Amino acid sequence: MTYRSQRVAYAYFLAALVLFALQVCFGFLTLAKYLGPDPLRDVMNFATTKAVHTNLLLVWILTGFMGATYYMVPEESRTELWSERIAWGQLALWLAVGVITVVGYLFGWTTGRKFLEMPTVLKVGVVIVMVMFLVNIVQTIRRAGRFTTTEGVLVGGLAAVALLFIPAFIVFDNYTLDRFYRWWVVHLWVEGVWELVMGAILAFLLIRLSGADREVMEKWLYVIVGLTFLSGILGTGHHYYWIGTPRYWLWVGGVFSALEPLAFLGMAAYAYNTIRRSGLAHPNSIALHWTIGAAVLATIGAGLLGLAHTWPQVNRWTHGTHITTMHGHLAFFGAYSMIVLAIISYALPGLTGRDEAETQTSLGLWAFWLMTGGIFGMTMAMGAAGIGQTYLERILGFGYLEAQKKIQVHYVMWFATAIVFASGVGAYIWDFVRAGAPRSVPAAAPARDLRVPA
Amino acid sequence: MTKATTRRFFFGGTIVFTAVFIAMTIHTHMTIAERTHADRLTEEVVRGLHVWGRYNCENCHTLLGEGAYYAPDLTQIVAQRGRPYLTAFMADPSKFYSEERDGRLMPTLGLSDPEIQEVISFLEWVGGIDTNGWPPRPILVSGAAPRGMPYVEGSLTSDDAVTRGKALFDGAAACATCHSRTQGLTQIGPTLAGIATTAADRLADPAYRGAAKTAEEYLRESILKPNAHVVTGGTYAAPDGTSLMPSTYDRTLEPDAVDDLVAYLATLQ
Repeated sequence: MTYRSQRVAYAYFLAALVLFALQVCFGFLTLAKYLGPDPLRDVMNFATTKAVHTNLLLVWILTGFMGATYYMVPEESRTELWSERIAWGQLALWLAVGVITVVGYLFGWTTGRKFLEMPTVLKVGVVIVMVMFLVNIVQTIRRAGRFTTTEGVLVGGLAAVALLFIPAFIVFDNYTLDRFYRWWVVHLWVEGVWELVMGAILAFLLIRLSGADREVMEKWLYVIVGLTFLSGILGTGHHYYWIGTPRYWLWVGGVFSALEPLAFLGMAAYAYNTIRRSGLAHPNSIALHWTIGAAVLATIGAGLLGLAHTWPQVNRWTHGTHITTMHGHLAFFGAYSMIVLAIISYALPGLTGRDEAETQTSLGLWAFWLMTGGIFGMTMAMGAAGIGQTYLERILGFGYLEAQKKIQVHYVMWFATAIVFASGVGAYIWDFVRAGAPRSVPAAAPARDLRVPA
Repeated sequence: MTKATTRRFFFGGTIVFTAVFIAMTIHTHMTIAERTHADRLTEEVVRGLHVWGRYNCENCHTLLGEGAYYAPDLTQIVAQRGRPYLTAFMADPSKFYSEERDGRLMPTLGLSDPEIQEVISFLEWVGGIDTNGWPPRPILVSGAAPRGMPYVEGSLTSDDAVTRGKALFDGAAACATCHSRTQGLTQIGPTLAGIATTAADRLADPAYRGAAKTAEEYLRESILKPNAHVVTGGTYAAPDGTSLMPSTYDRTLEPDAVDDLVAYLATLQ
């Protein structure tokens, strides 16, 4: 840690990990209902626990992105944050909105639009948080006068995240239109602008971990994020096959979403080439594991498993089955959870004032392998459940309930592998806590004095 | 390739594809009213959409295939089950399904009577949206229509009407979802054990209100016009005496298929 104000990142990371642990707990509650019987049916039904599970995912990943940004921007612009106080206030407001949202769901305070269930007044809270965040970051960069491509992609991605939240406020009486614009938020976030954030964090980590040439890295970063938008914007069409929108979306969505894996393949190739050219000599081996792991699992989960059911000819049978669950879990974990865990592992030695070698514990490596092994097993179980469901229910014509009974064994496997995954999460958090509290460093001189020629 | 080139690729590509996307959005937006027969989008349907949201329905069910996978897709549910059945079901799902027997049970959500009617109107409206042919074959809540399975294929193409009728009963017509063929076992509708004999008895009963003259005609009438004569009982009829059986078979079953079903039911002495 070079700048004192970077210490706020520690608090964001800690909050993200607590929310991650809670997300996993609600995941178990939700999964247990598949195994049945459900004694909590009339107290906390499936719809409630699932909404909490998915919302906690969004909240903890975004908390991680914010922490990553507050860690990266001072490093990239070589300055203290414009306002550490805003960063603290932002975290407090963000967590307050998050807690009220989750508690509200438990008492039925919801709009019931999947992923965007939050009541409008709380969405306003999210907008305030985003404005505080962007103002603080932009002012930090402006004051420093040093602006790298990596942070440009990061901040551009975050600004687009805020901008694309606006359609979440618009509710249509026509259900098809409501679905249509809901995807502007959900799809264009996770298959669009979030990838910019991921790409920027990945570039930052690869440059730092491998010592690769920044000019070359940033050149390819543009190609990767260019491919993301080239495929991802019109790729939104794969959500428009069957919801009442015109038939041409079948072609447009099919062709462009089939190109979506290119951006992830690009990231994997990017990581591979960097490591091949510059070696794996960095002492923070755990951060390296997470970084390379993110590039690889995002390619499989978001890229290939997405491709597996994105063609309309396949999707007409698999739409609305556990095939989507399979893709969703590995995509989110590979692309977003792992990149957040990578930046946390990278930043932790500096934030806690410890030598990098000192933080390379075997527990940290266990956390990596348990989580990746666990999620791989979960993906297999969900995939088996999804294929079984598609074949029995959609192709053969068994009723939903009969098909569910026949795929019950895959829920058992899902549960067993989820235990492996959860033990990895526990190991990671314990390793984080064990690294100790953040250290204090003196505030850096005013940014302008540190200014270097671009 | 220089960094300036890749930067141009990024910005140029983003601008072009955003413009195309917005143009397609405008066109799509203009076609939605027709594709979703928006003229039937009444205030009751809109209130039903809000009921759907308020009770968080799509975090268990899917609708147009979107939502969660813990409960069945409801895109065609009103056509499949009919309003009287859905009204009774939503008031108390435990009357119709058991967690022990069926693996899942919908919680009793405490919907008011108007809310139930509103959400059914909403689902009925959704059922009429032009979905580009999805789902390619009906998605059923329970029962089975395993047409693709070899032994059922054989039955459906059999020369024997009774064999074809039994395949329909267990399969595409999904009669077995609600009717058992075991004496004393009630699933949702009345047991059909000995229905051929029962049909003859019904005709002789002075309380019979239908138009059938023979047992076969009675069976046909029961399938095509469930309200011609309603057998009262716990889950058979709504409080106003309307049958909970879907009244859609006159539209969804081919006349030959009805003949086959009647032939099969007539063997249940």
